[in-house]
Amino acid sequence: MKNPLLEIRSLSTHFFTEEGVVRAVENVSFEINPGEILSLVGESGCGKSVTGLSILRLIPSPPGRIVSGEILFDGINLVQLKEREMEKIRGNDISMIFQEPMTSLNPVFTIGDQIMEAIIFHQRLGKAEARERAIEMLDRVRIQAPEIKVDAYPHQLSGGMRQRAMIAMALSCQPKLLIADEPTTALDVTIQSQVLNLLREIQREMGMSVMLITHDLGVVAEIADRVAIMYAGRIMEYGPIDAIFSQVRHPYTKGLLDSIPQLREKKQRLDAIPGQVPDPMNLPVGCKFHPRCYLMIEECKKAEPPLVQVNGDHFSRCIRWKECC
Amino acid sequence: MSQNNFLLQVRDLKKYFYKEGIFSSDKKPIRAVDGISFSIRKGETLGLVGESGCGKTTAGKSILRLIEPSAGQIFLKGQDILHLNREALRVLRRHMQFIFQDPYESLNPRMKVGEIVGEGLEVHRIARGKEKSQRVSELLERVGLHPQDAQRYPHEFSGGQRQRIGIARAVSLNPELIVADEPVSALDVSIQAQILNLLMDLRDQLGLTYIFISHDLRVVKHISDRIAVMYMGKIVEMANGEDLFRRPLHPYTQVLLNAIPKMDPSKRREEALMKEEARAILSDQLCLFQPRCPHSREKCQIEEPLLLDKGEDHFVACHFVSTMTS
Repeated sequence: MKNPLLEIRSLSTHFFTEEGVVRAVENVSFEINPGEILSLVGESGCGKSVTGLSILRLIPSPPGRIVSGEILFDGINLVQLKEREMEKIRGNDISMIFQEPMTSLNPVFTIGDQIMEAIIFHQRLGKAEARERAIEMLDRVRIQAPEIKVDAYPHQLSGGMRQRAMIAMALSCQPKLLIADEPTTALDVTIQSQVLNLLREIQREMGMSVMLITHDLGVVAEIADRVAIMYAGRIMEYGPIDAIFSQVRHPYTKGLLDSIPQLREKKQRLDAIPGQVPDPMNLPVGCKFHPRCYLMIEECKKAEPPLVQVNGDHFSRCIRWKECC
Repeated sequence: MSQNNFLLQVRDLKKYFYKEGIFSSDKKPIRAVDGISFSIRKGETLGLVGESGCGKTTAGKSILRLIEPSAGQIFLKGQDILHLNREALRVLRRHMQFIFQDPYESLNPRMKVGEIVGEGLEVHRIARGKEKSQRVSELLERVGLHPQDAQRYPHEFSGGQRQRIGIARAVSLNPELIVADEPVSALDVSIQAQILNLLMDLRDQLGLTYIFISHDLRVVKHISDRIAVMYMGKIVEMANGEDLFRRPLHPYTQVLLNAIPKMDPSKRREEALMKEEARAILSDQLCLFQPRCPHSREKCQIEEPLLLDKGEDHFVACHFVSTMTS
């Protein structure tokens, strides 16, 4: 086995608000190998974005804080790093792209200026060289006429083009890990398919690892190698893509899959998960999913189940995983 | 009038927007909706799909006269609603309601849920006082909420519950037609399924007719009987939902359906097949999809294709349908 590029061990990130403590991420462990795409999937408030921000140490503090755990990147524990050391990693070894490119791009600078900023800061290149690199990156993300677009402002580009520009910026320093937080959620379906293809191609070309944060299992099925399903700050199921889609071993994952209308068969009703996501300040005792679960038994209310091995590298946080499929 | 069979008939509906600027002399309108026609039977659900900017929301709002259409005819139960005066329109509004995408912005935060849901009953003088609160309780239960929720404010509810409130408001006057604009798009997947089930149950129980607007093809396929695909203000294809997915005839529909992520990792597609977006369309006399179309030919630049029936109520606006096979 290769050494993982990123190894997260028992990470907990909490927010200390006036109303109480929000345990956004609780005891989360997973790893990302070199050259693979791991997807963190879940609904709003499940902790997937907070996990991504924790890795980059971008949790707003106060009120947020990484309260325990280790984030080992290339063997270095990022949790222990000083802010100045972290700055060298952010945007360089690890970079991030966000859902809404219009709000993450600065409207008063050209696309080129924004790509060059990271190159100049991290790679210590001169302005002319950095500009060359920026044009090269725009070309790489299949933006036509990159030598003209480099001087364009964000509002002059369409949504799909802006997301490509964001990707160019994120990749300009050839990161080892790209954290992509809902990168295609704001895009139309045809543009989404183009951007996903682009991401996968570039990931292969550069051999980088990707952590894809999304709520959309369709996107996951298109692009991920492995998947971690999150709910209420925990990982509920974790395994290779084929296992998650063909041998589901957690009732929540199954519920998510059943909630999506199928194109082939016509069903009268969808098997929706009843109820709603619990209040993060008032999580249920025991398994966090038990109030909505069709397999719930008394035991589920008492203690939180551990993440158990189903087989190989497939894990489930459910005591009745054998009955779920 | 002989519109008897159809609850709603829309003919050549247009909505143009003109840029208004002190210095602009730009007379060229933005053709948000550019001559769409369709009919819906009672109890039927028509899905209106397309990508952002295709005009689907503008079409939906124009049909209910929430915005004034530029041209065209809209018949609800045989009555041309574009030529009704204020009072007649107000009366007719009972029969046609709108459900909004964003459950956070479409409910007045200062009104209690009971007031929101019961407002229409009072405005249309259907019920007041005790009778009104009785009706509101029934409506809340019907959409899966508690009668006591009438005393609470919208901010106390989650996104899915707020959409339930919006739905209760929409059905409060026993409407016949509901235009639902992306009603589940802002919701989490598990909640989406609950709301879709609710909308389908209400359709069966109350005999509702829906125009269901969405960019999500899975959702549209699930709930619709027929589907109309819009592109740049026009309907490019319209057919029975099963038929449309089995044999999409318009090149744009084919691209669109192909772009839906498959829920099967073993069937990954390696290539997206549409040309890059092209914005500037200059001439009027052409197929608007032509600049991006993989099958584009000379004729597509000279002549606009009309929406024609290719058999079995399958309508397509493309010159080369018979010569293309997908």
